[in-house]
Amino acid sequence: MSASDNHSGASPGGPDRPAGEDPLVTPRARQGRAPDVFRPGAWLPMREYPEDEPVDFAIIGTGAGGSTLACRLAEHGFGVVALEAGPFWRPLEDFASDELEQSKLYWLDERITDGEDPIEMGRNNSGRSVGGSMVHFAMVSLRFRPEWFSARSSLGYGVDWPIPWQEMWRYYAEVEEALKIAGPVRYPWGPPRGRYPYRAHEVNAAGLVLARGCEALGIPWAPVPLATVSAPRGQSPPCVYRGFCIIGCSTNAKQSPLVTWIPRAIRAGAEIRDLAMAGRVELGPRGRVSGVHYHREGRWRFQRARNVVVAGYAVETPRLLLNSACPAFPDGLANRSGLVGKNLMVHSGHGVFGRVEEEVRWYKGPPSLALTEHWNYTDTGKDFDGGYVPMSQGPLPVEWANVLTARGIWGEDLRQRMTDYIHGAGAKIVGEVMPQERNRVTLDAEQDRFGLPVARVTFSYCDNDRRLIRHALRFQRQLLEGAGVTGLFDVEDTAHLMGTCRMGTDPVRSVTDADGRCWDIPNLWVCDGSLFPTSGAVNPSLTIQALACRAADRIRTLARRGEL
Amino acid sequence: MAESMHRFPGYDVLAKRDTPSWNPQTRRVIEERLALPPQAHGFFTEAEWRTLNAVCARILPQPPDRADPVPIAALLDQQMQQNRGDGFRQADMPPLREAWRRGLAAIEAEARLRHGAAFHALAAAQQDALLHSIQQGEVRAAEWQGLPVAHFFKARLLHDIVDAYYAHPTAWNEIGFGGPASPRGYVRMGFDRRDPWEAVERKP
Amino acid sequence: MRMLEARRGGRTGHLLDLALPLAGAVLAAPRPPPRTGREARRTDRVARHLHGGAAILALAVLADSGLEHYRAMFFNRAMYVPLAASSLTLAASLHGLLDERPLPHAARDAVYGLAAATGLVGNGFHLWNIGKRPGGFSWLNLFYGAPVGAPMALLLAGAVGLAAERVREDAAARRPRILGQPAGRLLAGLAATGLAGTSAEAALFHFRGAYHDPFMFVPVALPPVAAALLARAAAEPGRRRPRRLARWWLRLTALLGFAGVGFHAFGIHRNMGGWRNWSQNILNGPPLPAPPSFTGLALAGLAALRLLEEEGRDG
Repeated sequence: MSASDNHSGASPGGPDRPAGEDPLVTPRARQGRAPDVFRPGAWLPMREYPEDEPVDFAIIGTGAGGSTLACRLAEHGFGVVALEAGPFWRPLEDFASDELEQSKLYWLDERITDGEDPIEMGRNNSGRSVGGSMVHFAMVSLRFRPEWFSARSSLGYGVDWPIPWQEMWRYYAEVEEALKIAGPVRYPWGPPRGRYPYRAHEVNAAGLVLARGCEALGIPWAPVPLATVSAPRGQSPPCVYRGFCIIGCSTNAKQSPLVTWIPRAIRAGAEIRDLAMAGRVELGPRGRVSGVHYHREGRWRFQRARNVVVAGYAVETPRLLLNSACPAFPDGLANRSGLVGKNLMVHSGHGVFGRVEEEVRWYKGPPSLALTEHWNYTDTGKDFDGGYVPMSQGPLPVEWANVLTARGIWGEDLRQRMTDYIHGAGAKIVGEVMPQERNRVTLDAEQDRFGLPVARVTFSYCDNDRRLIRHALRFQRQLLEGAGVTGLFDVEDTAHLMGTCRMGTDPVRSVTDADGRCWDIPNLWVCDGSLFPTSGAVNPSLTIQALACRAADRIRTLARRGEL
Repeated sequence: MAESMHRFPGYDVLAKRDTPSWNPQTRRVIEERLALPPQAHGFFTEAEWRTLNAVCARILPQPPDRADPVPIAALLDQQMQQNRGDGFRQADMPPLREAWRRGLAAIEAEARLRHGAAFHALAAAQQDALLHSIQQGEVRAAEWQGLPVAHFFKARLLHDIVDAYYAHPTAWNEIGFGGPASPRGYVRMGFDRRDPWEAVERKP
Repeated sequence: MRMLEARRGGRTGHLLDLALPLAGAVLAAPRPPPRTGREARRTDRVARHLHGGAAILALAVLADSGLEHYRAMFFNRAMYVPLAASSLTLAASLHGLLDERPLPHAARDAVYGLAAATGLVGNGFHLWNIGKRPGGFSWLNLFYGAPVGAPMALLLAGAVGLAAERVREDAAARRPRILGQPAGRLLAGLAATGLAGTSAEAALFHFRGAYHDPFMFVPVALPPVAAALLARAAAEPGRRRPRRLARWWLRLTALLGFAGVGFHAFGIHRNMGGWRNWSQNILNGPPLPAPPSFTGLALAGLAALRLLEEEGRDG
């Protein structure tokens, strides 16, 4: 199956676009140029690297991890080729205000899910574009609670991260500056931090419902620090509150990698190859990898590289490593620990919704504009380990209809309830989920259009997860009752993916070291959410980018010492 | 509910087509969707098509006086032709096209088994009752073999029908959704605040 | 017939006077008038400059409150009041500008008084609005709630207008006084306070804009200097140098008010869709009518300087 089979008839690039210009069919970043996302039809000059000469770093994936690392490594002077399975969008020209059309941003090749609580993939947590799933992320940019980096020793659950929080704090600041995060002047939780580069956005009615509830309960709330600018920034105009954030920003206000790290990376001399699907990492002589086999423009190719970085997120990264099994690594590349693909984590996205008398019109503005991290920073009154953060919601119609049908509602009843759309209000959490080895990514017998085995994603909650969810649902009911929301009902959901190539200090208990360098293969690296030893209870993108910035600095240090 | 009982009388997102609320790519995509003939089908067989239309009419019954009904079945046929899935499926669920073909055949078989008639020939109440028992996983026909019945109903049948319906401007008008919004988004964000280009709700 | 002629005769002169505060007073540097017996006429001119300043302030308030309250859907009927008050103030100050008679005017006085009161009450309303929002007096609500300080521009318009009337009242006398104080000093204090306050408001909203453009520092940096120089000139009415310095800064500040509109127009252009998306960007972009408040206050300051000059001469 090719991309054109997948979308024949209605080319998502638009029916008027000639086939040769369909970004899902023909790569855009080639012949020494890449799309300039800020100017319709314009191009940026892009350096190109030959395939048969080893490039310093071949990076697989251009999401939060890959694009950030590509940018910082290129800025440190390394040669970088970044392979991206998805297209190189021009948001101003390609992104429509339409949920169905914009499904082109998701990873829509099949994955098999199972376990007691199978995860929804696709639009829920995956992306296939230059910029990765951050092209359609909700822009929530939160730091971990410092104690989570030492979850085991400080809080008594999960495992410790191999990096102290103070170090992460510095890199958080670097990323927040790079994305001009718009956040509150004073953030109510955690140790002091520098001021967010841009001011917080106005909180919409949906957010004010949550704020009202918090004030009724006497706990703090805050506007959400968001990666969409609240004032002009370079060629990015300020957010117009169109509310289609999670299907792609057509104004470039959203500071996704597509408009931040990627243009920076190209200017610094990195090459981005779109529509380039990696199939296998090749193990060369002396226990080092020698390059990547990837599919582009109708055939398999091989990019030689001194280092390979896998940054495909928590499903594609282990899938690629498992699929790169070879005689030296029969259970998957860099998998002597047996942990590649294991400890898959999601976040619980359980929520409570209802109705308020006022018109809320929650389709306006970024979906989550208010939150409370109360249960991330309070350790008493809990019957579970970990934390969760309720956030206000603003689902689009198709998304909201699916929330109702998930309750088994259909028919006249469904249509009636949907007419209350503009009165809807509610909250959903990002809730911490414990790492378990039984939750994992494996290879299925089924093959995708490239002839590669598809991923099988197995997930079940543990008892602690279920206690957390119960607590969170109860709390959100109180919160919304306090805010005057009626007709409350619970919603099950998940968000984000983490784990599957955890980092650590012990080669037996982890896949990589703190820099994302595989214990088993010194020139093979991982740089994405797969590295997370624990999930924390905030959206992972800021932490992934901070890890990537840190990894780039560490790689420069190691290179200077001759330790690469 | 008749269309005349509309909560947002006179509201039409399409009236914004030529304002800054719609960019060219959105116009292109929506125009293509609106141009789809309601009877167009190239994937489903005639028998499947009859069953499908009857199912859609029960899952989202549209007012008889509606001027521009959502062509749900045609949109689903288009989805099948494009093989546009969700990017995942549970291990016990067949792939998109196969799931729909088998599911429709099973619904038809269930109708014949219970009522001795085709699903589309049943009375609305009978159709609803049959769909409810499928939703509960309470089925008898052998054709359900290999399909996770209740999950098929929720994750495939309901999901795809609802996706098609609420991606149509007619549905946006019905629920007072602002519709496409780019480059112009919104200004007024607070409680009971409405931009002039948003729907006015009829107050009781 | 005599009246008609007087009016007609007056008109061309008045039109010049109307233009003067807007451009002439700003650009040209009128030499200090020789000490002659024409002080009354000069004082009358000062009064009319003050009317001009009040007019600009009122116009800014009219446009700003009109736009902002339209944005707020005139949710509260009281939101129409500043529109009415500023319109009346505008009319009164234009009338005052064209009025050659060296006499105060009861209707104008009433209007200016009403404007000042509306400004004060309006600010109360705005504070109440901020206080009742979730979060109370937080940065967020200062940014996005009813703008605290905005109604003060109406208070200033009223106060400047009232001052104009008092100056005119005493036009026959050599030294106009307000509330028993020398008019120049009081007016200088008023203009300086107004400039500082308006600057603080610009600082708040430009902070909200994260000072993304370095020019956003100008209205935060420049007017307070003018205010300080004006205050110094008032404190030392006997010296010429402080007055000259203050005059130049005030002229610069007056120009800034106009330049600000240009910058804000450019800011709107930088928003998504630019001017084509005006129905959103006029409201969500930088406010076009806000900067001219600086011009109005600077004109009041310049008028104060003239009075100070005379007070200094006498003192």
